[in-house]
Amino acid sequence: MTGKTGVAGPAQARPLPVQATPEPQAAPPPARRGMTLRAKFHRDRALLLMTVPAVLLLTVFHYLPLLGNVVAFMDYDQWAGDSAVEAIVNSPFIGFTNFAELFEDSQFWDALRNTLTLTAFQLVFFFPLPIALAILLNSVLSPRLRGFIQTVVYLPHFFSWVLVVTFFVQMLGGAGLLATVLRDNGMEPWNIMGNPDTFILLVSTQGLWKDVGWGTIIFLAALTAIDQSLYEAAASDGATRWRRLWHVTLPGLRPVVVLLLILQLGNALTVGFEQFYLQREAVGRQAAEVLDTYVYYLGLATQDYGVGTAAGLFKAVIGLFLILIANRLARRFGEEGVFVRS
Amino acid sequence: MDNPLAGAAANRRSFLSLMGLGAIAVAGGGTLAGCGEKAANEGTAQQVDQLSAVLPKYQPLELVQPDIKGVSPVANGFTKYPASLVDAITEKPGRGSTITTMTPYWGQVPAGPGQNAYLDAINAELGAVVTPGIQDGNTYADKLNAILPARDIPDVLCIPSWEIPKIPNFSEAVKALFEDLSDHLAGDKVKPYAMLANLPTVAWSNAIWNQRLMAVPWPTDGPYPWALFYRKDITDVLGAAVPKTAEELYQFGKKVTSPDKGVWAFNNILAMVEMIFRVPGAKEGWRYKDGKVEFKYETAEFKAALEFMARLYKEGLVHPEVVASKGADAKLLFSSGKIVMVQDGVGSWLGVQAEQQKVTQGFNMQPVPYFAADGGQPLVHGSGDPIFYTFVKKGLPKEKIAEILGVLNFAAAPLGTKEFELIEYGVEGKHFTRGEGGWPQGTDLQAKEKADQFRFLAGTAPTIKYDARVPTYVNDLINWENAAVGFLEKDPWSGIKIEMPAGYVKVKQPTEDKITDIARGRRPLSDLDVVLKEWRDGGGEEGRTFLAKALSDAGR
Amino acid sequence: MTALLNPSARARRRNRRPAWEEPPTVAGQLVKGAVLTGVVLAVLIPVWSILVTSFSSRQAIADAGGMVFRPRDFDLSAYVLIFTRGEVSRAVWNSMFVTVTGTLLALVCTVLAAYGLSRPGSLFHRPLLLFFLITFLIGPGLIPSYVVVTSLGLKDSHWSLILPAAVNAFNLIVVRQFFMGIPGELIDSARIDGAGEWRILTRIVLPLSKAVVAVVGLFYAVGYWNMYFNAVLYLNNSEDHVVQQVLQAYILAGQSPAGIGSPPALGFNAPPSLAVKMAVVVVVLIPIVIVYPFIQRHFTKGVITGALKG
Repeated sequence: MTGKTGVAGPAQARPLPVQATPEPQAAPPPARRGMTLRAKFHRDRALLLMTVPAVLLLTVFHYLPLLGNVVAFMDYDQWAGDSAVEAIVNSPFIGFTNFAELFEDSQFWDALRNTLTLTAFQLVFFFPLPIALAILLNSVLSPRLRGFIQTVVYLPHFFSWVLVVTFFVQMLGGAGLLATVLRDNGMEPWNIMGNPDTFILLVSTQGLWKDVGWGTIIFLAALTAIDQSLYEAAASDGATRWRRLWHVTLPGLRPVVVLLLILQLGNALTVGFEQFYLQREAVGRQAAEVLDTYVYYLGLATQDYGVGTAAGLFKAVIGLFLILIANRLARRFGEEGVFVRS
Repeated sequence: MDNPLAGAAANRRSFLSLMGLGAIAVAGGGTLAGCGEKAANEGTAQQVDQLSAVLPKYQPLELVQPDIKGVSPVANGFTKYPASLVDAITEKPGRGSTITTMTPYWGQVPAGPGQNAYLDAINAELGAVVTPGIQDGNTYADKLNAILPARDIPDVLCIPSWEIPKIPNFSEAVKALFEDLSDHLAGDKVKPYAMLANLPTVAWSNAIWNQRLMAVPWPTDGPYPWALFYRKDITDVLGAAVPKTAEELYQFGKKVTSPDKGVWAFNNILAMVEMIFRVPGAKEGWRYKDGKVEFKYETAEFKAALEFMARLYKEGLVHPEVVASKGADAKLLFSSGKIVMVQDGVGSWLGVQAEQQKVTQGFNMQPVPYFAADGGQPLVHGSGDPIFYTFVKKGLPKEKIAEILGVLNFAAAPLGTKEFELIEYGVEGKHFTRGEGGWPQGTDLQAKEKADQFRFLAGTAPTIKYDARVPTYVNDLINWENAAVGFLEKDPWSGIKIEMPAGYVKVKQPTEDKITDIARGRRPLSDLDVVLKEWRDGGGEEGRTFLAKALSDAGR
Repeated sequence: MTALLNPSARARRRNRRPAWEEPPTVAGQLVKGAVLTGVVLAVLIPVWSILVTSFSSRQAIADAGGMVFRPRDFDLSAYVLIFTRGEVSRAVWNSMFVTVTGTLLALVCTVLAAYGLSRPGSLFHRPLLLFFLITFLIGPGLIPSYVVVTSLGLKDSHWSLILPAAVNAFNLIVVRQFFMGIPGELIDSARIDGAGEWRILTRIVLPLSKAVVAVVGLFYAVGYWNMYFNAVLYLNNSEDHVVQQVLQAYILAGQSPAGIGSPPALGFNAPPSLAVKMAVVVVVLIPIVIVYPFIQRHFTKGVITGALKG
């Protein structure tokens, strides 16, 4: 980047997880082609200064301890030496053996497959729902009612998974409300909680129930940033409610939606732990094993910090890779102008 | 099984995020077999019963005769409070040092010295400033896995036995972090610490690592891990007899289960079903029979047990909430009468009975006497291994170590001493008042200030004390426990401290998952052979070879 | 609920529909009402049962065999247990300090960095962005984090909770996204008037970004308020304990260690009543319910329109 010129604009290579909105951000500060580093520094010093506190905090509390992740490439012995640092220094490098260990285990691939299936399923069917709910909430006129609904739907985010699963069990389980009603009416209750085939639907629904309200918050904020005059203009042009939704609201949300989608992809290999841990025995490992539970059980058995760290690095690399691809795709769509901001 | 509804969840999640997933592999330097470049952990077996040279000499100290004697390893029971107390330690062990400790606790953490009358009273007796660091017992392993590698440890550290397997390469850790106590306590050197000399030798022999005495053990007072408890008040009404065979257990389940009333017979009772079918349980399921080392999955007994368990699941005799989620609260369902028979730790008996009888008229939980599937002689799993180990930080000055051992000695004083009363109940008039028969009754101040800060530093000779809330408890418990002592499984590897090879350890969870699949009816019982083969090839054979060698090395 | 969505004449005056907007169709309103009613009920019923259970006696809970949905009695003992010992009120103060200080610090750092990164093409823009993004993807391990925090002398200090969590890359990138959405002409005209970056940030960008700053502030605040694991690691003295630590202890009291059959010696008491567990959930939720409406206030439409016209 430093070698490039400071000319920004739709054509310029954009940084990562960028939104694809071409024009609304601030025009670049006056810049000349072939500006020296020094001149650039002079121009951007205020901006750079602003990032200093965050960079410092992350350097100390994130990157410094992150150096410890080098044990992913080590046969780590935490008791070698008189301190934690010495232990790392004294442990031998073993290259990619820890990674090989993961990749050679068929259970790792099972877990990876389950995780990716879940991510894909949830992205396609569940990601849009908070957006829809946010739009729906936004259309409620009474502020008091809107506030009430917003507050209610965001509460479950703060429940532990144990509690969430308990509610589902008490509603849909074999001793739950639904089963009791069915039994009272002489019907045989069917097995919802322990069915491996529909487990993906069950966990996604649980996740939706827990977090849909929480998920709307960012979109509610994004809706506030949409220029109201656009609606008025559209309406005076005779656009119906639906057309305004399509041509004003959605394009207005697009940058944030794309951003969250991209960030979500970065976390594609993280679908949660507790939820699967709790229901694992009910549906079996085949259905419920995800990467995080796999590494948990592996760690419990072997206590091999090196392999665990390797798994973390693997997730990060895949995440970064997915982010980069998604970002490129988004840019391409942006250029094609499918969702050009009106 | 009894995860808190609204909480512990959070720990693990935050743990995960903190570690960026790598985390969950609980810090570790253990290594894996089968990888060329890694030093393979092939397990260790050391014969600790041959190491009597480092053990303290046992000097029993019988101050009070028990009212009901437990057959070793069952603890003695005391129903009458001693009429007069012995002042067992006359010289203050402390020299005014500050001694930091870390112990687990399952409850609120009280204030430290200076703001805590209980601590201050004991510290005054000790002549030292013991400063407890109390840690939530449920996140203790996480805490240990941070402070141990960081070498940030207190002077005295209590580690529960069940947390030890979660610490990688523990025998190495012991070497790096803790003081070798052999030179301070072996043989007659224990003499100045009469209360420690009163602890059973079998407990001490478990405190040996790398041929050296490394910790002060906290002896167990009950050898049995699990019991089946049933609601006697409910079964009496239903007329369901206490089962004495597997078939009767099944019939019991059939009889009491009634989905229309919201009542089911069991929680997950697999561990007990295994015992009932005489599945081996030593070292997590091994036995030595007819010159062969066998694991439980390979036995006909296990197959029968698994078939039985699968039947209980299939016929819907296990409570659906327990089936659906590990977070289900079996204790609550049992207390509520929604589960009639529950598999639980023996330690839960007193608390649940005492609490629930206040609410449910006639609430009566009783343990089912151990029985065998065919009605013959039962096989009972169990061990006399200690509950906690107390370690001393490595490299402290000799005088301070003596001081610390003096403190531990004080804490180990048995029932019948003034020291015991102080540690266990606090100061009379402040922390307790005399109740029925002279037994101390805790006050609110005791509840506020005492968090077993000293009790968990050192155990006493095993003791079951009278509890006014359930007057029959001592007799009921010890009679029930005594009845089963004769059936305790003999561990062929007893006296050998075993760390299993990594290859074997690794195959455990995947196999258990497959067994669960069979028990829950997701795979047919006939698949057990496939599972068995995968287990053998995946590391099971390695485990067998290792254990066979340990036996022959020990000359057995 | 549906009736509520058809505001009365008076309410209509208050919540003026923009003149250009066509009146809603009856069918549309019905569908909207039904969906929202369903969503709200799906949450409210469990929340209701949490509340009812927390006020139920052991007897009522035993009869229900778990969560109580129909109130049978009104029993305050769970709350009495939690609040009489005094730990909770002290812990609430500690948590409030952590939450308020932490959120302010985090917001300052995040907003500054987000603005610093909102100008593609600026010096080191791309590497800096990557620097932040990577922290979103991978975290450090337990041991190194512990070593860093303790070597800085932060053990037994509330800063051990505040500082490591003060910059969250996700929040930072979200804020940056909103900053980048602010019409460029606003910033350009300010610059022409001679405003520097600091002035542009405080006078133009921030006032237009109240919603996202409020949202991210909420994210940080909730994170700090719910902080548990770091507190377990770093806060040893009971007087420093934060609210989650103290409340967890009420839940965990009497829980035997997972998976082991506990011997009698450990003398575990009976697990706390389900009422206590639910009361803890309620206590944690209260501040969260109180704070949210203040955040929502910033979800007002048309900030930017106003700014452009004004």
